[in-house]
Amino acid sequence: MKNFTNLALGAALAVGLAGAAAAEGLYTPNLSYRTGPFAATGIPLMNGQKDYMEMLNARDGGIGGIKIDFDECETGYSTEKGVECYEKTKEKAIVTQPWSTGITLQVLPKTNVDKIPILAPGYGFSPMADGKVFQWAYNMPGSYWDAASMILTELGGGDQAGLNGKKIAFLHLDHPYGKEPLPYLESKAAEHGFELLPIPVGLKEMQNQSAQWLQIRRERPDYVIMWGWGAMNAGAINEAVKTKYPMDQFVGVWWSGHSDDLQAVGDAGKGYRSISYSMPQPDAPVMSDIRKHVFDAGNSLAAEEELNEVFYQRGLVISMILAEGITAAQANFGSPEINAEQLRWGLENVDITEARLAELGMTGMVAPFSTSCADHTGHSGAWMLQWDGNAFVQASDHLTPDTAAISALEAEKAAAYAADNAPWPINEECSG
Amino acid sequence: MLEQIFIAPFIDMIEAPDFLMQVLWEGLVSGILYALIALGFVLIFRSSRIFNFAQGIMVVFAALTLVGLYELGVPAWICVLLTLFVMFVLAIAIERIVLRPLVGQPDIILFMATIGITLFLIGFGEIIFGGENKIMITAELGIPTDSWVLEPFGGLLILEQKDVTAVAVAAMLVVGLLVFLNKTRMGRAIRALGDDHQAALSVGISLQTIWVLVWFIAGIIALVTGIAWGARAGVSFALEVIAYKALPVLMLGGLESITGAIIGGLMIGMLEKLFEIYWGQPLMGGNTETWFAFVLALIVLLFRPQGLFGEKIIERV
Amino acid sequence: MLYRTAGQFKTSYTSDQALFPVRQDAVLLMIILGFAFVILPMTASEFAFQTLLIPILIYSLAAMGLNILTGYAGQLSLGTGAFMGVGAYACYKMITLMPELNPVVAILLSGFFSAGIGVIFGIPSLRIKGFYLAIATLAAQFFLVWLFEKWGWLYNYNASGAIQVPNMDMFGITVGGPRAASITQYYVVLGVVTLLTMLCINLTRGNLGRTWKATRDMDIAAELIGINLMKSKLTAFAVSSYIIGVSGALFVFMWRGAAEPNLFDIPLSFRVLFIAIIGGLGSIMGNYLGAILIVGLPVVLNTVPEALGLDIKSSMVEHLNIMIIGSLIIFFLIIEPHGLARLWALIREKLIIWPFPH
Repeated sequence: MKNFTNLALGAALAVGLAGAAAAEGLYTPNLSYRTGPFAATGIPLMNGQKDYMEMLNARDGGIGGIKIDFDECETGYSTEKGVECYEKTKEKAIVTQPWSTGITLQVLPKTNVDKIPILAPGYGFSPMADGKVFQWAYNMPGSYWDAASMILTELGGGDQAGLNGKKIAFLHLDHPYGKEPLPYLESKAAEHGFELLPIPVGLKEMQNQSAQWLQIRRERPDYVIMWGWGAMNAGAINEAVKTKYPMDQFVGVWWSGHSDDLQAVGDAGKGYRSISYSMPQPDAPVMSDIRKHVFDAGNSLAAEEELNEVFYQRGLVISMILAEGITAAQANFGSPEINAEQLRWGLENVDITEARLAELGMTGMVAPFSTSCADHTGHSGAWMLQWDGNAFVQASDHLTPDTAAISALEAEKAAAYAADNAPWPINEECSG
Repeated sequence: MLEQIFIAPFIDMIEAPDFLMQVLWEGLVSGILYALIALGFVLIFRSSRIFNFAQGIMVVFAALTLVGLYELGVPAWICVLLTLFVMFVLAIAIERIVLRPLVGQPDIILFMATIGITLFLIGFGEIIFGGENKIMITAELGIPTDSWVLEPFGGLLILEQKDVTAVAVAAMLVVGLLVFLNKTRMGRAIRALGDDHQAALSVGISLQTIWVLVWFIAGIIALVTGIAWGARAGVSFALEVIAYKALPVLMLGGLESITGAIIGGLMIGMLEKLFEIYWGQPLMGGNTETWFAFVLALIVLLFRPQGLFGEKIIERV
Repeated sequence: MLYRTAGQFKTSYTSDQALFPVRQDAVLLMIILGFAFVILPMTASEFAFQTLLIPILIYSLAAMGLNILTGYAGQLSLGTGAFMGVGAYACYKMITLMPELNPVVAILLSGFFSAGIGVIFGIPSLRIKGFYLAIATLAAQFFLVWLFEKWGWLYNYNASGAIQVPNMDMFGITVGGPRAASITQYYVVLGVVTLLTMLCINLTRGNLGRTWKATRDMDIAAELIGINLMKSKLTAFAVSSYIIGVSGALFVFMWRGAAEPNLFDIPLSFRVLFIAIIGGLGSIMGNYLGAILIVGLPVVLNTVPEALGLDIKSSMVEHLNIMIIGSLIIFFLIIEPHGLARLWALIREKLIIWPFPH
């Protein structure tokens, strides 16, 4: 019903503002999805992204004195709509935020020609980390392979070798997104001698995973790692509770850690863990700014209780990374007005230190990291969050991925991608 | 290879009978829900020859209305009544706006019109309720949420009480429906309309009333399905895809047969689960549930083109 | 006045049976072709190419394939998306196995693979009819999409399970892949679509087309007058699947640039079915009209709020879009169940006698 009031408000506002909507400033469209089966997890993230930019506009008048024109283009997680949005926005946009591994894969080869940077924080194609090959793509602060590596380390008790002889089920969405960590997991299974059991969940089975969980019950894996999204997360958690799978042996990627999905099972979900590159900090100074400039001003689409949740705050972090890229570019090129190519340079030179985080009022919300010409991921590391029956709480120290192994794999797969898509431009100027 | 196809699965079944029972139980629960959706299809098809693709979205819409009303602070049981009222209004609206102008058009046109209704309701529903996954108000409706853990053959069999409730309610609904169709005036009118349109009209049965009634019953079935399915995995628009699962049930059971819908649903629910667990997952990489039911139904249709319980198709030139 | 046919005398059967016996039709067609080949490419923006011109042509072709089967031969199919997928994957395999193959040849060849699969799934149509057949085609739809996901060989064991179009050259011009210019792709698509449209027009007017129509109108009667139903139905499946397969190959190689299996899932099938039905079953031109409406409308609707200066959330626009499309489908079905093509035919009738209707 809230949306209905929004509609009424929106319509009223629209009439009042007619003609004045063409905002000026840096155009940073977001290919959002607030509809469809994946909307459940998309909405809080997109609310966070939007609110951070609105806060900057209201508090500082934008970035470096220029307003941010943060616009959304609805995709419904459909690759087709996503590409349409990309085409529609690419003329003015200085960045594209595709929000789906499928859309990222489609847009990736076009960015070399269109010269627009892709910002896919914590998703997309893991080899994008290789900045020499993927000059226009960024997925800081961590890739899916980072996530898989940290999960394995944590499950192995601090060392992946501890997984020797174990059986790990990999419950994933049958979609490019879910398959993304497979190459890494397979290579590690061979290396450390654990058995990997991939269990795909089709897009139509997201809400009815009883077959998958019967398989888990039959195979009795020591751990279940989940790469779920949208309605799949809630479905899996429900089934896990139902089959009485021990929750503390069940770990999800960072997109499988949405509080709403666990709220449905409450205490029964206690012990479920999810890796996360962001950490909610309800008392961070930035939160009071968000409340003051956006939420209390009635410009937020988020609900009160959403503000302290993992996904909303991750949305803030994502927009912060973009804002830092813009700031870096502005400083380097000496002008507040930057274009897509300059932003590309900026995103390559993001340097988020503890001091900078404190300055932004976001201490602890993400781990410090920096990007470079060759490294477009930053590999910030992450934390384990654990469901305590009521909310996600920190359950581990700061973890770091096994960068050496990942970099080698990234370079290999990136080279293969470039070879498949020859002629592909490679930036030879970067040196490691 | 042959051994894996023809022998190994059966050895697995015998070695772990408790697991087999669990598989069959899960299949039965899904099957009941498929049967319910198929029942909605059959009722509408019998009385109006409309292949109502919107049944799936009606399930979502009913469940969302229920949860949405509850979120406004309305007591749970009043929500159920209000939702029924909403479904009634929806039935009237569909009859007035869509069906009445399309009377007598070819089947495919009516079918497309129901897809149009589906799209409309998706957009409309998302505007009103938003796209977030919602939690079904299971406990509030007095449905037990615990589970029974049995130990047959020294194994483990978990029966969710809400699934047991769903099976019981579905069974009662089916019995009620059969009584209604066979014993009441209205019910007999529905059947008469299904048997012969013109004859029914000529003895004074009102087409419009019956259509509203049938769509309303389909709405009630949608609500029950929505509650049962929503209790398992939450309510969101992703639920809409279960409508597809009702289609092979219809093929198998026959488009006109209520018994067919029920037996077809149960058969498909259990067989697809068995196939997935004992053949699909070990041999074919899993996820065979997306197509197994269709292929099974297709094979059955090759031998009986009107489905297992459908009326014999008599063609005249 | 403009459409007056008085004075156009036919002196031979050949001229009476010509494709366009009315001169104005031929002129109108020339104007449209002139637009499509010369004026539009010169004036269209990159956005128009990518979201309107190319997809409208490709969807029209897919709908035309479906229309052969459903509109002309009367066999309802809900599996169009999967057959488009067969074409796309066949094309992908050919291009990656034989990189020196001419892309257009590969696209035209890929249709044969989907034709083969189409015939296999068409066999049940000999026994199953009506809605039962429609649901049976869903078996093809779901099984094939599942196969695209599980059969690694099809996507060269790519980790993400998606296929990616490589850069493809033809006579020194890049026609496919990320480096191809939209205008080149547009011409390739336009060429193929024009060619296949001519093929379809002629097929449906010829012996085969009449056999199909007889099968559609009453198959038992058709059988009694000596039409071989098996041949008629299976050729319809083959021709239809061929065209759909080619459109699928164009869809991925000339427009999307990459594809994942669930792209070919049931929403795509429904979309093509909408186009065929809104356009008009049993009409070639209707496919274009339907595609313009179904593909073009959302794009236009998306730009309306901005053009009016309304500040509506993009998600709200999307919701309204879905609602409007749903309502329009119902609206068009109510005002003209035979589709836009019939609407045009009525207008044309009126124009012929205009301005003196009596």
